[in-house]
Amino acid sequence: MEAIIQANNQKRKLLNEKNKKIYEDMLMYIRLSYDKSEEETEEILMELLDHLFILQEEGKDAEELFGEDPQRYADEIINELPKTVSKKRLLLFGMGVSYFFAVSAMFQGLLSIILFYVFNQSEISQTYSVGTVLVNTCLSLGVAALVLYGIIRYLRWSCFKQVSKVFEFVFTGILFGVLPFCLFMFIFYFMPSFGPTITFDVYWFIPIGIVLFFMGQKLRKQV
Amino acid sequence: MAIRSQLLKGILEGCLLAIIARETVYGYELAVKLQTQGIDVSEGSIYPILLRLQKEQLIVGEMRKSPSGPNRKYYQLTEKGKTALQAFRSNWENLKRPVDQLLEQKEEY
Repeated sequence: MEAIIQANNQKRKLLNEKNKKIYEDMLMYIRLSYDKSEEETEEILMELLDHLFILQEEGKDAEELFGEDPQRYADEIINELPKTVSKKRLLLFGMGVSYFFAVSAMFQGLLSIILFYVFNQSEISQTYSVGTVLVNTCLSLGVAALVLYGIIRYLRWSCFKQVSKVFEFVFTGILFGVLPFCLFMFIFYFMPSFGPTITFDVYWFIPIGIVLFFMGQKLRKQV
Repeated sequence: MAIRSQLLKGILEGCLLAIIARETVYGYELAVKLQTQGIDVSEGSIYPILLRLQKEQLIVGEMRKSPSGPNRKYYQLTEKGKTALQAFRSNWENLKRPVDQLLEQKEEY
């Protein structure tokens, strides 16, 4: 799989400006149809690239291959691509969740350690309400999934279009940066404490994060 | 010629099966062979059909080194594909003459 993606990256450089733009839009759009078998997807992308390259050598237009409406053509291809097996999708999901918690735990740990040792703020051992932590965790996962989905939708929407850089910067900055950040802050700030409490030293977050990270790595290798 | 109609899609599927039955080919080669037969469809239209034929297990594709260098995906017919081609052939034989006759009689009405 890696080999075919590498070959694609190399060969793509040989396309002229116009063909490259249209092909890379096609590539992005098709790759972002996330529930399709990766192997079949990469193979068809390679075939299309080979074909386009031959057309270019013959002095023919990309339209000969993709028709007048490339997005419609891409949809036709996506429609015929087989779906990923559900086991693989489950593994990918597990991987995403593990990485998300790994990063959250390490971030939380580092922040608390810096606060304590550098700024002499807060305590080294913290008390957490299990109920609150559980609910917050679920909500954050939901927000993260929503942001990810939104990013994919946006990227697919922007394929085959000329989007102004300023618009893109402002729009994506607010939608995928500011908004989720405020949402996270809102959740953590306003969530009342409930459920039994546990107290432990914050540096435990670091090993927990590392374990979660390796779990993610392991799942990733199985995909 | 864009392939919108189901009829055309079905016929094109049969044509691809017939070409692949004769020899193992890769995508670009297939498009050229279609065109030299006088079947004038846009070159890209074969790829969605190739994907569908693979999904239905009528053909299998295999990445192989080509004589001229790059890896290419070569297609060949499966047993199921051979049966499907037979079915297409007999359907076509049965339909061809009556449809031709019907269309030629048009003037008399």
